[in-house]
Amino acid sequence: MMCIKQIFSRTHRLKVGQVLGAAFTSSRCFHGEQQVSRESSALPIIHHSRYVCDLPPNHRFPMGKFPRVLHFLIKDQVITEEQVWVPEIASKELLSCVHTEEYLNDFFNGKINEQEQRRTGFPWSEGIVRRCRYETGGTVLAAEVALQRGLACSTAGGTHHAFPSYGSGYCLLNDLAVAAKYLMGVSSHKRKILIVDLDVHQGDGTAFIFKEEPCVFTFSVHCGKNFPLHKQQSDLDISLDDGMEDKEYLSTVETHLPLLLETFRPDLVLYDAGVDPHWEDELGRLRLTDQGLYQRDLYVMKTVVSRGVPVAAVIGGGYSRDDDKLALRHSILHRAATQVWRDCGM
Amino acid sequence: MAERGEADFNDILDDWFIESLKTYKDLHVYQLEHPTQVIEWTSGKTVCVAGYSSSKNEIIELQLPLKLFAEENKGLCAERDFKVVHGGFTESPVRCLRHVPGTRCVVTNDGLTSDLQVWTVGGDDSDVIRRTGSVAGRKTRRKKSDSEGGSRIAARHSSQVLHGAQSDDIQLTQLTSGQILYTPEITSSDPLSSLQFVSDDVFLAGCCNGNVYIADTRASASPQLSPAPPGESVLWWTDAAAGASSGSFIRVSSSGLAEISDLRNPGAAVSRAQLSVQSRRCNPGDVTVSWAPALNDCIAVSGFSGLVQIYNTSGWGAELQEVQPLFEHRGHAVSSQSDEGDVFATSQLWHPERPRTLLSAASDGSVHVWDWVDQSDADR
Repeated sequence: MMCIKQIFSRTHRLKVGQVLGAAFTSSRCFHGEQQVSRESSALPIIHHSRYVCDLPPNHRFPMGKFPRVLHFLIKDQVITEEQVWVPEIASKELLSCVHTEEYLNDFFNGKINEQEQRRTGFPWSEGIVRRCRYETGGTVLAAEVALQRGLACSTAGGTHHAFPSYGSGYCLLNDLAVAAKYLMGVSSHKRKILIVDLDVHQGDGTAFIFKEEPCVFTFSVHCGKNFPLHKQQSDLDISLDDGMEDKEYLSTVETHLPLLLETFRPDLVLYDAGVDPHWEDELGRLRLTDQGLYQRDLYVMKTVVSRGVPVAAVIGGGYSRDDDKLALRHSILHRAATQVWRDCGM
Repeated sequence: MAERGEADFNDILDDWFIESLKTYKDLHVYQLEHPTQVIEWTSGKTVCVAGYSSSKNEIIELQLPLKLFAEENKGLCAERDFKVVHGGFTESPVRCLRHVPGTRCVVTNDGLTSDLQVWTVGGDDSDVIRRTGSVAGRKTRRKKSDSEGGSRIAARHSSQVLHGAQSDDIQLTQLTSGQILYTPEITSSDPLSSLQFVSDDVFLAGCCNGNVYIADTRASASPQLSPAPPGESVLWWTDAAAGASSGSFIRVSSSGLAEISDLRNPGAAVSRAQLSVQSRRCNPGDVTVSWAPALNDCIAVSGFSGLVQIYNTSGWGAELQEVQPLFEHRGHAVSSQSDEGDVFATSQLWHPERPRTLLSAASDGSVHVWDWVDQSDADR
């Protein structure tokens, strides 16, 4: 079932690489911890060791996956340490472009009540606040680096269920929204951002945040029966039935993405490459294989990059009791990105 | 606005989903077209359920989601839905349903007469549950106006079925021959709320008035009577532990009073407690109480509301105290969209081996299978 919320207008398309105006800080000054000029001309990977925090024993959220994604990419010699960019922690100011003052104060200071905590799936702790801020910082940095280098991937990110004033479904801050809002800018020449969310759960928080924003187009492909049942309205929602497999899924993405790129003409794509459409995922109700995920990621990034549009990718959701297996599945994104980097001569 | 109502309901379901990730190791839901009051294991992975409306009802054999059993590799199993494997129809309600061990037969009773219906599930590549026999109930009604009431049923080896509607019309019937093998010498005529084998030969007959008879099919002597706990006359339900807490039996009243006794000394109560339930006007078939086969001292109780409660009885003493449940399954209450007021849990059933796995059904047609997390258990 498709819903296109608005007809997008053809505004003047800005070429990638063009100097964009005084509203933006110098392209050299990223939200990264180290301001060294990168020797490595390979695919930028954004990672922070503080993407993790301690959770109560037997907590369902696979926190352990974040460091393991990087671990497997290095072990399998897909990337080297030199490709890793380390993000800054997201400041309250940065987060306030999406989240309310009240929520940020409560969130930072542990004033989230029991009921609100229950909806997020996380008990509040200082550790969780910190890791969410680093994760959001990572997505913002990925977007900044992508604008400069053409392609960048985080080893975390995709917290699309967070709304301006509350968290939900393991998401406490909306990293994609913050990155989009920040990179969009405030001048008369706003960047246009396309958010491609292929996590099996609808990007409801992101859809809500950008409902009235013509410069951000939210595109979500998700399983109708998965959380949340209370759906928001993205600019384009594709709701899939249970059990869809590789071929049909890929065909669905191929049907819509080129058209969106052609008509919306984004200056930047943020890609949520959630692996929960995988058939082994504990929560997702689709049936993609490893190969299917790889083809999907390869297709999305190649299609965007070959049109000269930069893309920043995040790992999105995935649920399994086996951290290693899950991390390997998430690393499919970075392997596909490495392939794109090579194929497109970046 | 109808639209907002649906959004609100979806919000409730979403909240419940997130909460369930923490409270359950596994949770699978299924929606029957019509509610069931019976759930009975027919194999390690299948159960039988059946409708209880006054006219035509379905009897269904459901296969549980295979994902539940994939211990090592939860993710590897894509089968996360219940599956209907066999089905049949009956013209009357099904108030009691028992599987005959070692066979593909189930025996049912309609709650109106004391006769039993015998069914064969599948066979010969058929997916039909078909009626293959019947067993006449013992009729000892002196007055014709006495309603027979429904029979309780217990089945044991060699296709032998123990059944009866009142304490004085219990009989053990051989299904294949129809031969009556045994009748206990009980003269009082108390409507039964349960019949249950606690060993190969010993069985309990729980009466609605709280009396419990303990009998041995090998002995000709009169059964032992454990009289009802004192107090106002209410309805009582009984269950004897055969697995983990073997040797004990429990009685629960419609006001939520629970008493545990020992089979070897049935006259005395070992411990008692006041359960945290809303007492309500109950019918004899409303409440189910059952001992956990694989979790020491634990019982499950349902029927007082939409909740299924698990209690740990090990802390109960001789003095009556109010106790709180160890766990409450809120799934039926939360996810019910019933227009007819509150939803009630109609039945619950423990898995015979998995310590914390239960099935439960409710008056809105929902059937859940769940494996709950013991929050107090830090290092599972």
